[in-house]
Parts: sequence; C-alpha cells; structure tokens
Amino acid sequence: MVSLAANIIGFVTDILHALYAMVGLSFWAAQLDIVVVVVVMFGFTSVFVMFLVWMERKVSARMQSRLGPNRVGPFGLLQTMADAIKLTIKEDVQPVHRDKIPYFIAPIVAFVATFMGLVVIPFDKGMVVQDLNIGILYVIAITSFTVIAILTAGWSSNNKFALLGGFRSSAQIISYEVPLVLSLVPIIMTTGTLSLNGIVLYQQQHGTWFIIPQIVAFFIFITSATAEANRAPFDIPEAESELIGGFHTEYSGVKFAMFFLGEYVAIIVSSAVAATLFLGGWLPLPFLAFLHLPGFVWFMLKLLFIIFIVMSFRWTFPRLRVDQLMDFGWKVLIPIAILNILATGFILLLMAKGA
Amino acid sequence: MTNDEIKSRIETDFQGEVLSVVISAQKEVIVIAKQDSYITLCQGFKDRQGYDHLSSLTAVDYPKENKITIVCHFWSYKNLSQITVKLDTPRDNPRVPTLENIWKSANWFEREVYDLYGVIFEGHSDLRRIMMPDDYLKHPLRKDFTDDGFIVKPS
Amino acid sequence: MTDLLLSRVKADDLSRLGTDDYVVNMGPQHPATHGVLRLVVKLDGETVKQTTPVLGYLHRSIEKICENRTYPQCITYTDRVDYVSAMSVNLAFALAAERLMGIEAPARAQWLRMIFVELQRLASHLLWMGAFGGDLGALTPFLYGLRERERILDLFEMTCGQRLTYNYIRIGGVMIDILPEFVPRCRSFLDYFEPKVDEYEDLLTYNPIFLERTKGVGVLTAEEGINCGVSGPSLRGSGVPCDVRKQQPYLFYDQVKFNEPLEQGGDCWSRYKVRMNEMRESVSIIRQCLDKLEPGPFEAKMPPILKAPPASEFYSRIESSRGEMGIYLVGDGTPKPWKAKFRCASFNNLYVLDALTRGWKVADIMAVLGSFDMIVPEVDR
Repeated sequence: MVSLAANIIGFVTDILHALYAMVGLSFWAAQLDIVVVVVVMFGFTSVFVMFLVWMERKVSARMQSRLGPNRVGPFGLLQTMADAIKLTIKEDVQPVHRDKIPYFIAPIVAFVATFMGLVVIPFDKGMVVQDLNIGILYVIAITSFTVIAILTAGWSSNNKFALLGGFRSSAQIISYEVPLVLSLVPIIMTTGTLSLNGIVLYQQQHGTWFIIPQIVAFFIFITSATAEANRAPFDIPEAESELIGGFHTEYSGVKFAMFFLGEYVAIIVSSAVAATLFLGGWLPLPFLAFLHLPGFVWFMLKLLFIIFIVMSFRWTFPRLRVDQLMDFGWKVLIPIAILNILATGFILLLMAKGA
Repeated sequence: MTNDEIKSRIETDFQGEVLSVVISAQKEVIVIAKQDSYITLCQGFKDRQGYDHLSSLTAVDYPKENKITIVCHFWSYKNLSQITVKLDTPRDNPRVPTLENIWKSANWFEREVYDLYGVIFEGHSDLRRIMMPDDYLKHPLRKDFTDDGFIVKPS
Repeated sequence: MTDLLLSRVKADDLSRLGTDDYVVNMGPQHPATHGVLRLVVKLDGETVKQTTPVLGYLHRSIEKICENRTYPQCITYTDRVDYVSAMSVNLAFALAAERLMGIEAPARAQWLRMIFVELQRLASHLLWMGAFGGDLGALTPFLYGLRERERILDLFEMTCGQRLTYNYIRIGGVMIDILPEFVPRCRSFLDYFEPKVDEYEDLLTYNPIFLERTKGVGVLTAEEGINCGVSGPSLRGSGVPCDVRKQQPYLFYDQVKFNEPLEQGGDCWSRYKVRMNEMRESVSIIRQCLDKLEPGPFEAKMPPILKAPPASEFYSRIESSRGEMGIYLVGDGTPKPWKAKFRCASFNNLYVLDALTRGWKVADIMAVLGSFDMIVPEVDR
C-alpha cells in the first residue's frame, strides 16, 4: 500500500516539474527540487517552533496554576507571532566595545547549525530531505556547532557575565556529547546502520520499538539532549537568577530571537531523533494501526510527546550547580552508558551464537 | 532571674568596673560603664555571666549634655535575661573601644554607629561607612545635622 | 590594564604570570539579590574567595524620620522597614511605645495581634519559599506560594484595607475590630492550607537536585551563629533554641502551645526545613488564638496626645518572620521619640554571608542568601 505521504510527494513533484518545464529550467530540476524542499522545511519548522513556544507557555502556565497566553488569537495561538514581530522591531542595542564580526556571526551559527540537523529526519516513509547513510553521525556533528556559537557570543560581548556563561555552557555541552553518543551506540550496533530511515525500517521489520530493549539508553539520551539544548535543569548558562542572561546577555532584537529559536530547534531535532530511534518514527502504535493515520501524523504525535516530557522538566526541577552538572554527566551517565553498550554487545553475541 | 537578682549579681561581680547599675521605670537593668574598664566589663559579661548574644549596639545623641551615649543590649540564651550597658563619650571627640573581638556582630553595628554618629571605635578592623556613600562628609543621625553643603560634587 | 599586562610580560617570571582576581559585581539591579543589594564577589574561576555586601542602596533614614514624628505617626514608617512582614514591625514598635508610656492593650487586641502576626509569618514564609525555589531554578513553587499568599492578603484586606503596608497594629491595640466573617474565613483558609505545606514539601524537600544544592552548603555552626548575632529560623537551623516567643513571651504566647522547630544540620536545607515546620506551627497557633478570642474592646483608653515620660527608654524584642526584631525607643517627655533604633534580623544575617560562602561556588551564594530569607529594606532601613 502506497502511503498517503508518498502520494502527496509524487503529486507535488509532478506539478513542480511541469512548472520547471514551462519556465524552461528542466535541466536544473533536481537542484530546484532540493531548493523547494529546503524552503518548505524551513517554513514548516518556523511555524512549528512558533507553535512550540506557545505550547511551552501554556504547559508551564497550567503546571503553575495559571492560564497562560489567551488573548492574542484563539487560545493565544498568535502570541508567538506577536512576540516575533516585537523582537524584529526592537532596537538592536549593541555594546560599544564588542568584537564586531564574531558578535554578528554567533547567533547566525547557532540558528543555522541546529536547522541543518533537520535534514536527515524522516517524517514519513520517503519524506526526508536527504536520507544520508551517515544520518546519526551527521546530526550529532552538526548540532555540536552550537558550542562554537555560544563561546563566540560570550567572548565577543565584552561582558564578564556573558563570558562566564559561555564557558559554563561550552563545558556543559561538550561533557554531555559523550553520553549522548554512547547512548546511541547500542542501537547502531543492533541495526548495523547509521541512517535514520534504516533504523525505522529495522523497527518495522522486528515489530518492537527500541524503547523496550534500550530503555536505559532512552533515559540517558533524553537527559543528555536536555543538557545539550541548555534547558533546565541544566540551564546554568542562562540562569537568570545568577548571570542575568549568560552568553546572550548582550543580545537584543533579532539576534536574541535567533538564539531563542535555535534553542527550540535543538529541542525539536533531539526529540525527533529520539522519536525516530526509540519510538519508531513514523510507525503507527501496534494496537492502533487500524486507524490508518498517515505516518506523518504518528511521527508528530510522538515528537510532541517527547517535547512535552522535556518541557515539563524545566518547571519541576531546580537547577543543578555547574560542578554537580559535570559530576552527573561524567560520573553517572557515562558509566551507565558504557555498561549499556557492554550488555547490548553481550546479548547480541549470544543471539548470534544461538542463531 | 529577677531584675534585683541580676542587679546584685552585677554589683558583686564587677565592683570597680561600673559606675552604677539602675533598674529603670520600664523594668530594665541598665549598667552605666566606664571608658577604661569597658572592654573587661563586656568580656566579663560574655564569659562569666553568659551574655552570649549582642542584640543591638547603637548610640544616642544628647547635644545639651554634650555627650553621645553608646547603648548595647545583651541577651543571654543560657539565663534568658537581658541587660543594657551604656557608655558616655564626649560629643566633640567620641572615641570608644571596640567590642568586635568579643562579639563579631559588633563589627557592622559599630560601622553603622560610626557612619551615622561619627563615633570612632578604637581597634576596629574595618571602620568605614556602611549606609552612606564612602565620600559623605557629615554624620546624619546627629541632632545638629543639616543638609547644606555636604554633597561632594564630582569634579 | 595594558601596562599591568606589559609589566608582567617584561618581568619574564612565570610565577608572576599568575591569575588575577576576577571581581564580579552582582547588583544592585539583579534578579536574585532580593532587592537592591550589591555584592562584590571576588572569584577564582568559579570559586568564591570573598563576598563583600555593599549596603545603603535602600537607606531611607527611617530612624531619623521617626525622631521627627509623633509615636502614632511612626507606625506608618515601621511598615516600610520590612514590607514583607509589616505586621511584625508594627507590633514591635507598638509594644515598645506602650511599655514606655505604661499603656496596656486589652485582651481582645492582644489575641487579634497574635492572629495577624502569625498570618503575616505564614505570608512571609510563603514568599520566601517561592523566592528560594526561584533562586535555585525551581520556578513553580513561587506561583504556588503566591497563590496561598493571595488568600492571606485577602484576609488582611478585609480587615484593614491594605495588602502590603498595613498600619494596623497601633499603640494601645489595633486599628479596627475584625469583621464577623473573618473568623470562619480564617478557619476555612487554615483547613485548606494545612495539607498544602505537605504538598510543597513533596515538590522540594527530598528532590535530589534540591538536596544536592542545599545539603552541606553554607554550614553555620551554633557558636558562630550566636557570636555573629544571627537569629530566628536561620539560627534554629543550627540547633540553637532562640525563639523570642518562648524565651521572652510577649502578647499571650505563654498561653498557646506550640513547638519550636529545630534542625541540627546548620546548612541551607536545615534552615529551609525549619521554616516549613514553622508554617505548620503558625497554623496551630492561629487556630488556638481563634478559639480563645473573646469579645471586648480593641484598643485601650489613651490620652489624645501620647507622650513618653522624660528620660525613659525601652528595648522590645519580638520574633519576626526573619528573626529577632528589636526596637529601642528613648523618650524625652515630648510626643516624639528622642531616638528610635530598629534592630533588624537581616542586618546580622547578612554579615555571615561572607564567612559561609568562602570556597564555594557562585551558585552557592544564591542558595545561602536565599536560605537566610534576607530582605534588603530591613538591612538598610
């Protein structure tokens, strides 16, 4: 059965190719296709981020027995639009003694690096911008660019607090890269492929999602992903009650919006990777498969579920101190991840021997 | 302990060191101290009679009698009693020994009295202004304080 | 700065290329210093070497102002000394002035004063709990605490019309009698509130992250606490029984049964636990006071102009939400005090901050400062 997504993609591709033929650019069809896909991806993600910001504000409000935004648009849905417009028309206050070029580049790098991680996420069967065969490696490598952006932002702001925040944040992200990668190694060992689409197909073939055999890896991944995005309880770099804004203290207007959106896109990317690897991506829930919902809908539901979990961390836990944070990453998460790898390898060997 | 017991105990313990001990109309025991035996008196109150808590150290300005009185209130967690110790010092050159080495809380109390009354505490480790800006010239809580010509204009 | 660097490079001595002190200025405008308090922190990387509080940003010379106002006029100023716990300061001043002038407030006024001071203690601790959680990064207890505080402020507004600076406890009694619906509303609030304290403890007290941030941090020994003049819940967290309500009972505290919560740890967690237990004790005290409330006059018969006898003085101590609040009044036969000294708990509690945070990290300054429940207007007056 051809999926609904494949139908839509095929239909749209035919229209686009007809359009190219009309304009006389059929020679560049493949490249123009990629441009169109990237623009669509960009647009979709921007709208989704706006929705996510609204969702965070509503979820946090309800957890704190408040209402949340409910004036701008129905249920306050247009609140983020209003905030985005406000940020774009704000005055760009820049410190006089800043380092001009790094100050300008840092938010751009933060924003672009996280967006590029979305290239390999399969939203449905065949609905992926580019199914790289080094998918996981690519995602992790690209999202590490944010370290450079944060360090640059902290240094170029010419502000002690920003510098301190930049140092803390880069130390935190680098420390939590290791458990992040180590928690994904057992899955790669089991499936034998780095491509995200391939991992979803493996889960489809074997009928179980990786969350069941790899529940430890799931928790380590979620924790490390929260730390990677500088979110509470790991939000020491932007701890308002200590360093005002951390590395983005001296940024205002559109530049601040880029850091802010970059954080949300990082959450989307990490949650999407978690949904793909551990929860089966666009596969339907086994006992609800009779609903015949398109895979895209299943993927979005799983994505929202994981994002909800990550969001509720922020409003429940206090903040970890910087050295406790590092302790937790190095002395607790990494040993557990390594033990998980050993156990998975052992079981795989046993299964291979048995077969 | 009743006030009379406290009074008699102070009078026997610190015979030469106090000027007088009175029980006020509001039923407080007030000890009038002398400048030269002030430190030994307060040390004795802390060590021998158990007044381990310096509740407050402040100053009262009496321009008509040309004196500033330092008033300390001690509280004893052991005996649950309170006494007041007063020390007079001349208004034009107020110098008083510091109680900082006996109770650490006296550190900031004395800084505040220096700042607001101009009393110099001899032996204080860090006698600078605490409430007013460091370059302030007058002492605000004195009774003859007027607000003319005291702001140091930035040059 | 450049010539300093150059001189170091020219000296070509590796030991002189050492690290410099990193001085960070927190405040006066800062989200976490609970007001306009400036902390000059000398850091060695992340480790604190010295914390110097710079005071005076909120100095409003209340003591000098009180020397130029009559005794009843001073009560309005006492609200502003500690606006989170205004009833307590009102009470301290009223007790001191009454003792000077030999006035005694009637019994109903004393019971009403007790009810309102204990309700004020609850409101202050709820705000503290929210601020303490917020300092540590737990943003939700703040809203829960304020939600309960709203109900207490509704009770206050019903009685005296004000939500923050009440001017309710006057010399000789209280300003006005309570409305008939106050007692049932207060009882229903207490019934609603008592299980909530357990709910908030669930959120914070045994949370592993909270324990890591507060256990063993900022340990204050009993001797150092007493020597430095620390008082109130901050000292009870170190195991010293120091409740003025028990040791020097004022109003009718000797006729109500309540415990003094003590903890032995001396760290931020102990001080936190003491305040949570104090909230429970306050609920019990208010219930007993409501039971013992009897009809009667709410203020004493006083001369129209209140004058203190000449050469009179009194130092009254009460247990405010933060610790020992003392007011020293000197009367001189006129309707205005000759001297009014406000001994505030936060002034002494702030003094130990430096000693407690040496060798700890920057984040611990926030934890220790929050655990002492420090209010800047009390420090600066």
